[in-house]
Amino acid sequence: MSQMLSPDMTIAGEAAAKAKIEVKNLNFYYGQSKALKDITLSLPERSVTAFIGPSGCGKSTLLRVFNRIYELYPKQTAEGQVLLDGQNVLDRSQDLNLLRTKIGMVFQKPTPFPMSIYENIAFGVRLYEKISKAEMDGRVEQALKRAALWTEVKDKLNASGLSLSGGQQQRLCIARTVAVKPEVILLDEPASALDPLSTAKIEELIDELQADYTIVIVTHNMQQAARVSKQTAFMYLGELVEFDRTEKIFTSPREKRTQDYITGRFG
Amino acid sequence: MSAVQEALPAVRGSRDATVRRFALTDAIFHAVTRAAAILVLVLLGGVAISLFAGSWQALSTFGFSFVTSESWNPVTEKFGALAPIYGTIITSAIAILIAVPLGIGIAIFLTELCPRPLRRPIGMAVELLAGIPSIIYGIWGLFVLAPFLQTTVQPFIISVFHGIPGLNSLFAGPPYGIGLLTSAMILAIMVLPFITSITKDVFDTVPPVLKESAYGIGCTTWEVTRRVVIPYTRIGIMGGVMLGLGRALGETMAVTFVIGNAHRISTSLFAPATTISATIANEFTEAVGDLYTSSLVALGLILFVITFLILAIARYMLMRIDARTGA
Amino acid sequence: MSTAASLHQSRKRRNGVMMTLCVAAAGIGLVWLALILGALLYKGLSGVSLSVFTEMTPPPGDAGGLLNAIYGSIVMTIIGIIVGTPIGVLAGTYMAEYGRFSKLTTVVRFINDILLSAPSIIIGLFVYELMVRPMGHFSAIAGAVALAILVIPVVVRTTEDMLNLVPNALREAGTAIGAPRWVVIRSVAYRAALSGIVTGILLAIARISGETAPLLFTALNNQFWSSNLNAPMASLPVTIFQFALSPYEEWQQLAWTGALIITLTVLALSIFARSLTGRREDK
Repeated sequence: MSQMLSPDMTIAGEAAAKAKIEVKNLNFYYGQSKALKDITLSLPERSVTAFIGPSGCGKSTLLRVFNRIYELYPKQTAEGQVLLDGQNVLDRSQDLNLLRTKIGMVFQKPTPFPMSIYENIAFGVRLYEKISKAEMDGRVEQALKRAALWTEVKDKLNASGLSLSGGQQQRLCIARTVAVKPEVILLDEPASALDPLSTAKIEELIDELQADYTIVIVTHNMQQAARVSKQTAFMYLGELVEFDRTEKIFTSPREKRTQDYITGRFG
Repeated sequence: MSAVQEALPAVRGSRDATVRRFALTDAIFHAVTRAAAILVLVLLGGVAISLFAGSWQALSTFGFSFVTSESWNPVTEKFGALAPIYGTIITSAIAILIAVPLGIGIAIFLTELCPRPLRRPIGMAVELLAGIPSIIYGIWGLFVLAPFLQTTVQPFIISVFHGIPGLNSLFAGPPYGIGLLTSAMILAIMVLPFITSITKDVFDTVPPVLKESAYGIGCTTWEVTRRVVIPYTRIGIMGGVMLGLGRALGETMAVTFVIGNAHRISTSLFAPATTISATIANEFTEAVGDLYTSSLVALGLILFVITFLILAIARYMLMRIDARTGA
Repeated sequence: MSTAASLHQSRKRRNGVMMTLCVAAAGIGLVWLALILGALLYKGLSGVSLSVFTEMTPPPGDAGGLLNAIYGSIVMTIIGIIVGTPIGVLAGTYMAEYGRFSKLTTVVRFINDILLSAPSIIIGLFVYELMVRPMGHFSAIAGAVALAILVIPVVVRTTEDMLNLVPNALREAGTAIGAPRWVVIRSVAYRAALSGIVTGILLAIARISGETAPLLFTALNNQFWSSNLNAPMASLPVTIFQFALSPYEEWQQLAWTGALIITLTVLALSIFARSLTGRREDK
């Protein structure tokens, strides 16, 4: 498999880790304009990968290709391959709903559904699984515990999801995502709308979740990328400039553009 | 290996059926909503077709003279739509002439002058006025406004303009109370809320910075309104006026009460007359004979075509101002 | 005095005059509203009694009530809402959800806006041609269909507007969890837009409960109690129309009382509807 990748985008010394997602020659268009240019990279299983770069560089776009959420809107097209466990998710035959149960996503702003805390989590589970009330209670509790929210909400599961604070709402969204048992979790600037304390909690959570999930996080906050991720991809103007172990990117990047961005010379 | 990974195969099996079911239900829901949207088009198309079919007999019998003839005689079965068309256009035009300055004035008052705490209640009162059924205006016009005009205003105006060429025929007696002018006044009250609320809405689309810069070079409130706000919102105001006009042209009940239902064209604004909608409302259920009914439907068709054009222009104008604020 | 100063004076004077006129315009509008509501209360209230709600419409010159007319109005309004609302909500759903970016939506929106302000008497003629003529007689069901056609554009408009206010992020979140589009619409978008959609339905009820013209030659009128949907049925607005234009004092009095009932109903519905969305905006 790895021979097919362009050699400079395979991380040296990490060959042992199995690739969960492989992106091959991916191009993405908003109408006529090209937003992603020939992206090729490979994300190892059960580890955190960060996408960084100045705004408009395509990092969120790349994330939105993985679960094909971009298809909600017209005139957005992807070419190339995105392999999830070797299967191309860009195939026309790929069922989108099924794909999204395997690849969960958490958004920049907390998006609790207009229903109770309990229902916010049960909603997704109920879609594909017929389970008893007792089992569902267990699933909800497990998911909330996983998102480190259980102790805060266990006495008010019937309260509206909107009644929670911003940080709690975001953890509710993570719990909701975890509850449907995905394999990959995409995080699109999950902490950018939160206060520092809530951000710290989210980052802690990401660190714990990587034992079970392949996690991809988009962030404009370089310190955050450095703190939570194992490998980092630096993107610029729709191109993947450099992809390597996080410490390498932040200490001795190969590319001058990466260096400039890391040191704050632009962006 | 975590519990998550172990649970997966069992879950996957049942998922395939669910996925197929979702694809099917989603396609059905999509098709149903789409059909409902298309039904809206079908409705308007159906209105046009049925009116055309219903009026075919009258139109083929009378031809173009249907819109140029003034005679409306159920006994001899000679029907011409000129009088109702005239009445419709005159009453609507006068109504717009009264309502537009008032409506713009109220909109200026609401956006520039009104103390903040009063804005919402007054704005709401205007909107509520728009929701009052037209029959209420009609009954008020018949029992309150018409007698008042008949006993006070009309005799006064007739005596004032008596002997002045032109005006004396425009305001010729006797004072019936009901007639063209009374209908126009009722229509003016009815369309006033529409014009006011749309004008107020488009005034609100003016970027504050534009007004501030005008005030900044020392303009008075009137100058800002006249030179900045109104030019900036001209298309939107026109749209609102056209919408009000469309409303006035098609308004039935309020006019039917006070127009007098007389099939003749009179120069006097105090004379009883008729409009398209009033004629239909008054005569349709009593019409004997296919040609009579068909002629009434043909009146409806004319009204439909006129209002369709007016409303289409109104919507087009309002869409343009929407597009600008959206950009 | 310098010219600049006198120019300033004249500009100020002009401003004063124009602003006074604007205040006067607002005054005229409010006074007019007060006159109408005042007359309605004065003339309508004097006729309010229990018999209005318990007795049938009387023959000329007799005392009676409006019971059969009120009943007919309620029946036809309810049927109109039941028929019109689902169509309106579904069409609005297409425009804001599945078809948000399609050409069809632009066309439907344009046509719907025209339907929204089309003269209601035209709708009456349409239903006459569509139902009354083929069936051979006037009927309550034809009246209800005419009302339903008036309901549709109101509900389409508010449903589309309200669904468009639901943030896309919420739809993306629902989609990202694996829910198919229609589940996202049902469980997320409808819930988020619920109060707005209900407002639209209430406004539609307010609109049709006072409509007269579309009923004139569909449901016609009925002097007597009738619950037969296949026969002519009385309604409050048509009864008011008939009674007000009659020479009999008892009838005219009932017309005023009926007008008061309709106005209060419509005002209450509109205020309630607005308070629903108003509350949400405050949040």
